[in-house]
Amino acid sequence: MRKKVMARVVSSVLVTALTVTMLTGCRFGFASDPDDPNEEEKKVPIDTSTDTFEYDASLNGTNITLLNTKAEIQVALEEMGAEYEKKSGVHVEVMPVSDDSPYTKMISLYNSGNPPTIAILDTTDVIALAEEKAVDLTDEKWIAEAEGYTTELNGKIYSFPLCIEGRGIIYNKAVIEKALGETFDPASVTTLDEFKALLDRLVDKGIEKPVSMAKEDWSLGAHHLQYIYETYDGTSTGAQEAVEEIKAGKLDLASYKRMSEFLDIFDVLKEYNVAKGDPLGADYDEMAIDLADGKTAFWFNGNWAWPNLSEAGAEETDEYGFLPYFMNNDKNDFANQMIQGAPSKQVMVDRQIATEKEQAAGKQFLSWMVYSEIGQQMMVKTCNIIPPFKNNPYEPADPLSRDLYEKVHEGKAFSASVIVPNDHWAVLGAAMQKYLAGRSDRDELIKSIQDYWAEQE
Amino acid sequence: MKKTTIGGTKRKVTNILAMLGLIIIFIAYMFPFIMVVINSLKQKRDIIKSPFSWLFTIKGLSFDNFVKAYTQMDFLNAFKNSLIVTVSATVLVTLLAAMLAYYIVRHNNGISKLTFGLMVASMIIPFQAIMIPLVSIYGGTLNLLNHRITLIFLHTGFSMAMSVFMFHGFIKGNVPMALEEAAYIDGCTHSQTFFKIVLPLLKPIISTMVILNSLAFWNDFLLPSLVLTDKKLLTLPLSTYSFYGTYSADYGTIMAGLLLCVVPILVLYVALQKQIIGGVVAGAVK
Amino acid sequence: MRNKNNGKDFCMFALPGMFCFFAVVIVPFIYGVYLTFTDWNGVAQVKNFVGFKNFGGVVKDGQFWTSLLLTFKYVIFVVIIVNVLAFAIAYLLTRGMKGENFFRAGFFTPNLIGGIVLGYIWQFVFSRVFVSIGESTGWKLFEVSWLSDPTNAFIALVVVSVWQLSGYMILIYVAGFMGLSEDVMEAASIDGASGFVKLKSIIMPLMMSSITICLFLTLSRAFMVYDVNLSLTAGAPYGTTEMAAMHVYEKAFTSRQFGVGQSEALILFIIVACISGIQVYLTKRQEVEA
Repeated sequence: MRKKVMARVVSSVLVTALTVTMLTGCRFGFASDPDDPNEEEKKVPIDTSTDTFEYDASLNGTNITLLNTKAEIQVALEEMGAEYEKKSGVHVEVMPVSDDSPYTKMISLYNSGNPPTIAILDTTDVIALAEEKAVDLTDEKWIAEAEGYTTELNGKIYSFPLCIEGRGIIYNKAVIEKALGETFDPASVTTLDEFKALLDRLVDKGIEKPVSMAKEDWSLGAHHLQYIYETYDGTSTGAQEAVEEIKAGKLDLASYKRMSEFLDIFDVLKEYNVAKGDPLGADYDEMAIDLADGKTAFWFNGNWAWPNLSEAGAEETDEYGFLPYFMNNDKNDFANQMIQGAPSKQVMVDRQIATEKEQAAGKQFLSWMVYSEIGQQMMVKTCNIIPPFKNNPYEPADPLSRDLYEKVHEGKAFSASVIVPNDHWAVLGAAMQKYLAGRSDRDELIKSIQDYWAEQE
Repeated sequence: MKKTTIGGTKRKVTNILAMLGLIIIFIAYMFPFIMVVINSLKQKRDIIKSPFSWLFTIKGLSFDNFVKAYTQMDFLNAFKNSLIVTVSATVLVTLLAAMLAYYIVRHNNGISKLTFGLMVASMIIPFQAIMIPLVSIYGGTLNLLNHRITLIFLHTGFSMAMSVFMFHGFIKGNVPMALEEAAYIDGCTHSQTFFKIVLPLLKPIISTMVILNSLAFWNDFLLPSLVLTDKKLLTLPLSTYSFYGTYSADYGTIMAGLLLCVVPILVLYVALQKQIIGGVVAGAVK
Repeated sequence: MRNKNNGKDFCMFALPGMFCFFAVVIVPFIYGVYLTFTDWNGVAQVKNFVGFKNFGGVVKDGQFWTSLLLTFKYVIFVVIIVNVLAFAIAYLLTRGMKGENFFRAGFFTPNLIGGIVLGYIWQFVFSRVFVSIGESTGWKLFEVSWLSDPTNAFIALVVVSVWQLSGYMILIYVAGFMGLSEDVMEAASIDGASGFVKLKSIIMPLMMSSITICLFLTLSRAFMVYDVNLSLTAGAPYGTTEMAAMHVYEKAFTSRQFGVGQSEALILFIIVACISGIQVYLTKRQEVEA
């Protein structure tokens, strides 16, 4: 009988421990440690005193649903929806997507006859769905405020660009200065050779491997590799042209300048990679910690990495920023001067199931985010995103977004979005992983890219 | 309780060796779970940097993750939803499957064979292959989504095949016809025979199926996520969605949430152990 | 049950369960089969009949056949290891040993961890624990993460699947052993049958129905492996550990070729159905009725 008691005891101890926790919420240890990364984040106050937005009174009482695929702003969106409801009388139900891919979720929702009124999606998803399902937004007023950041599909605009996201080589200024013993001016690095020289100096000063790079296929296949299209001439049209030419076999990757330049910098990053011994064993969360702690000085990533850095102990007053993805040694090449900053999430409004009123309420919500003082503030302060709308006067708070924001406003960012098939990042991400692990050479990698494009119709 | 079989020193040595091997395997099996328990008490940073450091050497060790998981999940409501769905579906599928399996075993006719064959085959259907058709039919055509009862029905349907399969094997192997024939001679009807004679004999397999099915229902994510979108109806696994970000996840809270979710199943398991051990069958055969 | 009142018996015992099953599984499945003959992409409002065009796409999809081959290899390892291990453990756990219940609760825990946590914890084990063991001992085997090498990543998948599936199968085998009448076991001991003889000629035949079930379940689950594949390796390194079910899903939703993905799922289903059909037929013949 003792054994039964034993098992019983184990489980009841567990249950009791958990119950006690739930009831009292007690904590022990040094929980009030100032470095505690889990500490409640302070709420940024939103000034709701002025609101000059004109609400359509006839929409009062409408219910709309919003599908959110940007998990990190789920809570912020709920707050924003509540605020909008207070002002307009339109109830916004925010639906999350977690495990599934956004596209799969959309398919299942459409098939269940229960699609969201408005949906935040990736650009490829919008392109796949828009003509069949979405409201034409070409005549919306906010288009004028987002010049250069909208996505056209056969001459029409079906989506609202939610935010600008930028990527490049993130640096931790304090770490570099501490190692070198001098002030570090990011603008002083202008070419690949200069970047390499900086890395060598850091190695001399004891930072053995100063770079972190993610092994994830989305990072390698989309964020790294897509530079070959994006730097064609730095515009979306140019990037699309590059893709079409590669597809048609007119642009030979083996002799394409940007391809070899891309591999040059990729090789540099690879060489100084902190996980060089086992690049595919690298851990994403650990990279944030390494950069914040100063084990590394650089991390190839985007401004979405801030929450990770913040959790790893970085403060908003710390100096983090982006270096360009140096493609060569020409100081005047735009690729060495600017970082990539493009719209990332797109919002579409359903026209298949949603009623006229629901569509109008959805469209009003989009305008509200652009034009109402409250919406403007909440976009930046509550959601912590950089809206692509020129009329929004608020500046982001975290260092990465601030740096991107400044670069966008100083003309040091280029926006070249390229539309590639949805499995591009997965298929070519695998090819890039192979290259990163040293299991394939340049020729093999180039061949897989060419083969991939040859298969596309 | 069974007696250990009689034997000499050789037997004892084998026993000890077996015990030793068992303990090693046991630790390997428990290891991930122990990791979850330990790390649920830590901050994310410590989870990543020092996953193995023993509890008390880490600063900031606290039950915060549990508190956070509890509030963000709207635990009590989600718990209630999960409980309703799991209990109803488990009772339904266990009863219906036992009856269907009994019918199939005792009536070796065409319908039995066809149904059983289809069931066995259906267990191999990849869920992803019927996911979209399923939502088209139950959502698009019948408009039945967002009701608990739909989820219960779907759970029942999906686990029917395996449950019947399991009951079928057990009834065939362990329920002697002689007992039933005796019952008929005593004037019992078919349903009396089933509920009074057969069902009690099925206790070990019923306990097993109750555990397996309720575990599956309790922890399922995919099916509920297709059926339920209304926040008030979310089950426990669905309610942990907010811990997962696009680029990274809140591991401490996820593990705490996981523990909060699995405790009821552990309790159920420990409770049902007694049933399995009761070994009713041995007695009944005599 | 006798043959009188057959219709009433059928309605009462068989019909409710059959209804649930047909409505939930068979009808959507037939609809899904129908979709493989259309050009439907998952969202369009019109579906055009295209005959066997999607199946032509399957033939051309080399990656599908590669993943299928890998799946076969994986299934062989998993099925054998899981069943031998689970059978042995269940046997040891039903002999009235000390701490039996405690052990059983422990072996049950793999069932409690699923989804992303499962993948994360095991990634931990393979990328950190093993690597740190490698660092301190200098063993070559653990020098780099298992997950960054194709062969080792495959082994890692097998290990985790064995861990997870055997937790489940132990439960079923335990139930099977508990169902054996004690008389049989005692009689066998008194007759002086040695361990192996007892196992082969007395226990195995009586356990055959449990074995049928467990073999079938491991076979089908191993063929359908998706969760573990996705959360542990997600096909990495460089797509070398992508199993059939994961490939099908990726094809339908990531590559946006819904029809081809759906057809691949159907082909996978037919293959697995044949294999497990043969298995059930073979092992069922060995069963004895009580």
